[in-house]
Amino acid sequence: MRAIVIEDDLVIQGQIIDRLKKEGFAVDSADNGSEGLYLLEEYPSDVAIIDLGLPELSGLEVINSIRKQGNNIPILILTARGRWQDKVQGLDAGADDYLVKPFHHEEMMARIRVLIRRASGWSDSRIVCSPVILDTSSQRTYVDERELNLTAFEYKVLEYLMLHAGEVISKTVLTEHLYDDEADNDSNVIEVFIRRLRQKLDPDESLQPIETLRGRGYRFNLARVEQT
Amino acid sequence: MQSIKSRLTFVSMIVLVLFMILTAIALERAVVKRALQAEEDKLQVLIYSLLAAVDRNQTGMSITVSDDRLFESSLMTIDSGLYAMLYNTNKDELWRSRSTSIRFPGVSVVALGDWQFSSQEFAQKTYFQLVFAIQWPDIKDKLQRYDVVVWREASDYFQQLDRFRQTLWAWLIVTTVLLLVLMYLVMMWSLRPLKIVGREIKAIEDRKQSGFEHSYPREITPLTENLNILLGREQYRQQRYRNAMDDLAHSLKTPLAVLSGISDAEKSSRIDMATLREQVDRMNQIVSYQLQKASNIAGLQISKPIDLTQIIKKILAAMEKVYRDKSVQVESSLPPTIMLRMDESDCLEVIGNLLDNAFKYCRGKVVIVVDRGDNEEIQLTIEDDGQGLRQQQVEKILNRGTRLDETSEGQGIGLAVVADIVNSYKIEMAFGRSVLGGLRITLLFKQSVSVSAG
Repeated sequence: MRAIVIEDDLVIQGQIIDRLKKEGFAVDSADNGSEGLYLLEEYPSDVAIIDLGLPELSGLEVINSIRKQGNNIPILILTARGRWQDKVQGLDAGADDYLVKPFHHEEMMARIRVLIRRASGWSDSRIVCSPVILDTSSQRTYVDERELNLTAFEYKVLEYLMLHAGEVISKTVLTEHLYDDEADNDSNVIEVFIRRLRQKLDPDESLQPIETLRGRGYRFNLARVEQT
Repeated sequence: MQSIKSRLTFVSMIVLVLFMILTAIALERAVVKRALQAEEDKLQVLIYSLLAAVDRNQTGMSITVSDDRLFESSLMTIDSGLYAMLYNTNKDELWRSRSTSIRFPGVSVVALGDWQFSSQEFAQKTYFQLVFAIQWPDIKDKLQRYDVVVWREASDYFQQLDRFRQTLWAWLIVTTVLLLVLMYLVMMWSLRPLKIVGREIKAIEDRKQSGFEHSYPREITPLTENLNILLGREQYRQQRYRNAMDDLAHSLKTPLAVLSGISDAEKSSRIDMATLREQVDRMNQIVSYQLQKASNIAGLQISKPIDLTQIIKKILAAMEKVYRDKSVQVESSLPPTIMLRMDESDCLEVIGNLLDNAFKYCRGKVVIVVDRGDNEEIQLTIEDDGQGLRQQQVEKILNRGTRLDETSEGQGIGLAVVADIVNSYKIEMAFGRSVLGGLRITLLFKQSVSVSAG
């Protein structure tokens, strides 16, 4: 997953980035509104964390203009003022959720995960494409009740594919959303991970969960099952 | 010209002096015109009396004035200042009054039956002259033309006029000065209340008094009354800030003591980390609560009316976004508009916290009803189908932000802040059990907060 963090307090920004990276996110960051807006416009991401009190362009202005451009990226706002007036203003402008400073990083991560799931149309923390189950809160994966032993990066690839189950995901999109800028984003590496995932998910090749569409990318082919 | 007093003095002085000058000019003009007319009338009467004394001369071919038929004694006294002459068609002098010792210049041509009045300079004196042309039959009944001319010295007239002018201006100056003094006194009297306002403000600044105490004229009372309300609010707010600061400082001391204990311990363990976090949370909670409390200022009199329905709709839209996963079923019965005299951010805070709690603790249903009761009272009820609160828990929450549930953000603080705001607006808040099973909170906005629908 790729996240954009726009926060002018560099200590808080650093803490958020560290936590996101620890959770396997690729992170872009800005410490003012106009640079943040540029990142949002130019880099496709899965979630944005925006502080309301930003220099140059305020958080509200950034959210307003990004929403006006039709960008539906999930937005979590951070506000130092806990009054409802500020929260309502932020949500009204187009944010999806808010966090009042100071906050616990667990709470921030929980909210970010919810926002990302919701944006892909999942309402439960368990993503189910029978028989594969991905528990996003505990980051565990099961196939037919059998827990898989996935590496962090394998989990990231599978999570992205399952969140967008049924959609064609190009290798470029996968690398953009899973790799940090500075990381080696050779698309051959993706092929290697996809191959390993296939072996782990489907050792006897009866499910065929990940389909390769030549020249276009990959598609997770198992049907979504919504929890009730 | 910064002072009202000097402005008023300056303007009224100019207006008054201008008025007086114009009055004087108008009066003088009227009087001069009248006096000239009087002079003309007098000379006319004289000519009539001359005509009454006209007779044919001895030849019968011409006329003359018989002195013994003249009653105007001034015409008989030499150099009396009044002179009369009679001329024939050829402008030859036929007769002159005995008073005439000097030779007056000839007469100009006047149409028959016309009066010609003028003032003329002659031998360094000013005279009024009246000429009248008549026809008189001679012995052969042939009509002959004659000019009757009277001259009168104008020095008396000018002396009278000068006297009149002096008296007029003297009286006008005296009146102007008197009026100016009177206006100044009236102004001082009218501006006195403002001076007293200034004195009272100084006394308020010096903390000798807490508001305006003097009784003021009707025009100034709204100002002082509103200032008194403002001062009252300011004092109330200051008191709240002071209390909040005091509470903040005191309540931070306990967690600080715990933290200080941890830092004094020789080595920190995992348990210490948990304590640290707990104390940081507690401090955060204290700071947020006191901060909110300090910023809640009741504005019963001055706040502009806000629409409760719009605020509820706004908050509901926000809630539906934040609690989308929970898919809460919301049943609301709201009038199209409900105007309240309340600060918007205070109202958002109350409704935001109450609805946030309802959404957070409900199982799947929230009901909001707003009713307009008797006496313009407004009742707002928010119910949910959660677990509800016991009386003991309610009291604990209202007692300054104690949290019931550590995992849900700010629940205790939210309700305590709500309680604080509704208290300051004298809004009644009641907790009960909803028929849905959860909590039912009722707010009763009294007449002072509600704005009449009409």
